[in-house]
Amino acid sequence: MENCGCITCDAATKELYEKAKNEGIETVWDRARAMQPQCGFGEMGLCCTNCGMGPCRIVKVSKDGPQAGICGATEDTIVARNFARSVAAGAAAHSDHGRDIALALYHVDDKARIKDEEKLFKLADEWGITVEGKDTVQVAKEVAEKALGEFGKVFGNLLFLKRAPEKRIKLWEETGVASEAIDKEIVRVLHSTHMGCDADYRNIIRQAIRAAMTDGWGGSMIGTELSDILFGTPMPKKVEANLGVLKKEYVNIVVHGHEPTLSEAIVVAARDPELVELAKKQGAEGINVAGMCCTGNEIAMRHGIPMAGNFFQQELAIMTGAVEAMIVDVQCIMPSLATITKCYHTKLITTSPKAKIPGATHIEFDEQKSFEIAKRIVKEAVMNFKNRKGEVHIPDEKSEGRIGYSLEAIIKTLDRVTNTHAHPSGTVKPLVDAIKSGVLRGAVAIVGCNNHKQPHDSCHVTLAKELLKRDILVVTTGCGAHACVKAGLMSDDARKYCGKGLATVCELLDIPPVLHMGSCVDISRILVLLSEVAKYIGGDISDLPVAAAAPEWMSEKAQAIGLYAVASGVYVLLGVAPAVTGSENVATYLTKDIESVFGGRFEIESDPVKAAEKIAAHIENKRKRLGI
Amino acid sequence: MTLFDIIFTGSKQALEAAKAAVDSAIEKKGSDAKVAFPETAYSLPTIYAATGKKIGNLGELRDVLSIVESLIVPEQNLEKALNAGLATALSAEIIEACKYAVEEKPYSEPCAGFISDAVIRSLGVPLVTGDIPGVAVVIGEAPSVEEAAKIIKNYQNKGLLVCLVGKIIDQAIEGKVKVGLELRVVPLGYDVTSVIHVVTVAIRAALIFGAVPPGNLEELLKYTRERVPAFVNALGPLSELVVSAGAGAIALGFPVITDQDVQEVPHFLITQKDYDKIVPTSLEARGIKIKITEVPIPVGFAAAFEGERVRKED
Repeated sequence: MENCGCITCDAATKELYEKAKNEGIETVWDRARAMQPQCGFGEMGLCCTNCGMGPCRIVKVSKDGPQAGICGATEDTIVARNFARSVAAGAAAHSDHGRDIALALYHVDDKARIKDEEKLFKLADEWGITVEGKDTVQVAKEVAEKALGEFGKVFGNLLFLKRAPEKRIKLWEETGVASEAIDKEIVRVLHSTHMGCDADYRNIIRQAIRAAMTDGWGGSMIGTELSDILFGTPMPKKVEANLGVLKKEYVNIVVHGHEPTLSEAIVVAARDPELVELAKKQGAEGINVAGMCCTGNEIAMRHGIPMAGNFFQQELAIMTGAVEAMIVDVQCIMPSLATITKCYHTKLITTSPKAKIPGATHIEFDEQKSFEIAKRIVKEAVMNFKNRKGEVHIPDEKSEGRIGYSLEAIIKTLDRVTNTHAHPSGTVKPLVDAIKSGVLRGAVAIVGCNNHKQPHDSCHVTLAKELLKRDILVVTTGCGAHACVKAGLMSDDARKYCGKGLATVCELLDIPPVLHMGSCVDISRILVLLSEVAKYIGGDISDLPVAAAAPEWMSEKAQAIGLYAVASGVYVLLGVAPAVTGSENVATYLTKDIESVFGGRFEIESDPVKAAEKIAAHIENKRKRLGI
Repeated sequence: MTLFDIIFTGSKQALEAAKAAVDSAIEKKGSDAKVAFPETAYSLPTIYAATGKKIGNLGELRDVLSIVESLIVPEQNLEKALNAGLATALSAEIIEACKYAVEEKPYSEPCAGFISDAVIRSLGVPLVTGDIPGVAVVIGEAPSVEEAAKIIKNYQNKGLLVCLVGKIIDQAIEGKVKVGLELRVVPLGYDVTSVIHVVTVAIRAALIFGAVPPGNLEELLKYTRERVPAFVNALGPLSELVVSAGAGAIALGFPVITDQDVQEVPHFLITQKDYDKIVPTSLEARGIKIKITEVPIPVGFAAAFEGERVRKED
């Protein structure tokens, strides 16, 4: 795709970006421009600041510059260490999220707060927790304790690794990446990347994989499973998306961040009759909650709460002048929000002791007093309605889609095409048959963030459309999901983008061609789905005609996700090169040689059309090997 | 071989056979010789509905072969596979048309061959009212005469129109199934290609009752999918040709239920090895719900028996 020079393919974003320019308000794009040219050493991963002798940098462009750090670390070592630390940080973010959810489950004292009892008991069974004679709260406590044990247990591997196909488990054991406790693996990355420790780039990456695995098959999976238990397993529902979901006459509350414990409480509090009444007294028609980024995904998946926008729209939401409060917890919250909110009446409310922002109002969230605190926060927003100043400018842009495709929902949907006289229900057989017969060529997960190095949303959307027309089913999470729903790819109308095979599948199953599977921790749902399909065909995840893509990734979490996907046997296409290009060895290892070890590898391709071609070729290749 | 490759292979075989049939017919009768099915205003209905062209003589029929050929594009996707299935249907019609061009009366008792417009018009109303809840096309050979009779009678009892193609015809007769249009059990012919004579029933239904304009293939397929409650039971070993004909049925929206091991396609291609379940599996696959309650009496009871004649020897 030719870069048209646009910053975004999203009309609402374009409109508000223009408004920001006119009003002289600085946004992420302006700061990115001011940063150019970005440092080549950092970009290539060749800068090391791991000790007081540094900073060191390796010079690649001429032979005269330093070819090793002061300690003697080579480019391979430095690049691998930097990459590993990024992965560890990403894994830490997801895992700490999982830990908080586990703690929330642990503190549940009332059965009514468990929304999916069946899932709780299933997990208890999976983990060998006896449930006989115990009440739900007791079982929840024991499951939570077991989950919390995953973070720091002294012996044994991650429990969820057992969910993988047998061949994969064996491979992990043989290659030494069957991770142990979550925190331990992350600490080990930090240890081995300390000055004078691990200098073997392959060994450093192996440890990075162990840490990444504690994300996908550890922290993220715990986060997802336990969130479902606490707040309900998502089922298909309609949702509206984009900044047009903000309502001029209402108190608008945007919840932004990641952990559903906070946003769930806000959703409940915003429906409190007392607060609704208060909002009316302030001259508003009511309270409108909208979600942003992954917390937006969480409440949309479970309650159909409108999705206000993704990562690059957080600043723009405030520029509508209609947001009374932006409530944030952790991860991917731009500190610039504090500056931008000052230009409007919007209150930026931080809630986590792990993520404070100077200039924001901090109201600390506590799971045990969640409703009280949520009410206090919502009240702050309501009382702020009358402080609106200037003109409200909400772009008239929103689209509708169907979301809520948890693994459970997908399997239930697949039952629609089973014949009760010929087939079992509750399995992935219809999906496997559709793929084996060739009606679907394969499936691709489009995940990841927004990044100024790619036009906003455009790569997500272009890639998705290119895949749909090739009869490749798309599942998505995170900000990729926001991009797809905004572009209308989760509506029935999106069948027009599909090849005949995929369109037929969508019609029979009554699904959109792009399935929203949740937030970034919910990528763990995709891992379980892949495992189920691989087990059904008696193979490994690496045998499947599938791929993953992060066309606009930016965060360390995305790097951790990419690496655990590769280690799980998945071909992962990145639209932005990670900072590994300074070492040919590391780059070659990650994009080529690693495939012979794990069956998955990274591919770098910034053009979404070419990316689709590469993915389709990969999928057809896998099909050939399967003889289908 | 992938499922799609099997379909492409079968479609190419059908095309070759159609070419050979046309060549041989022209050799015998010349390219100006008349081509027509008896008692129809729709020329060669499949070709007419798909292309909008009426075929008058063998020379024109030969020209259709290139259209058929253009439909066979062996790319691995559903669209091309379904097109190849339609190509097989067109080839079958060409082959059958050649039979009628060469012979005075290519079909004889018990086989019906081509079904006239008048019959279709008479079947149209009960199809619309649901009096005929569905059309079962049983093709091939059941493992035994008993199984064959059981399946056919089961459909007959439910009021479905049953069309038979292949050895199942002999099995039906041996199994004492009374056949005939008035009994709604219609043996079409022994060759696989004679299945086209039930396909043209669906196609003419679209032209007559659906007022689908000839040449509008998309609308035709929509009509057959939504309005003609037909399905196929393919019993016994499946050749590539039969599989590609099955793809033609699927293109028309008719699911195929077989007793053979095939790569299943959700909703459209289903394996059912339990012969007692073939009927319920088929009805569910086509979404056919039987309106009448079955009366527990020792003889068959259905509208299908209304036209039955009790002969002296019975």
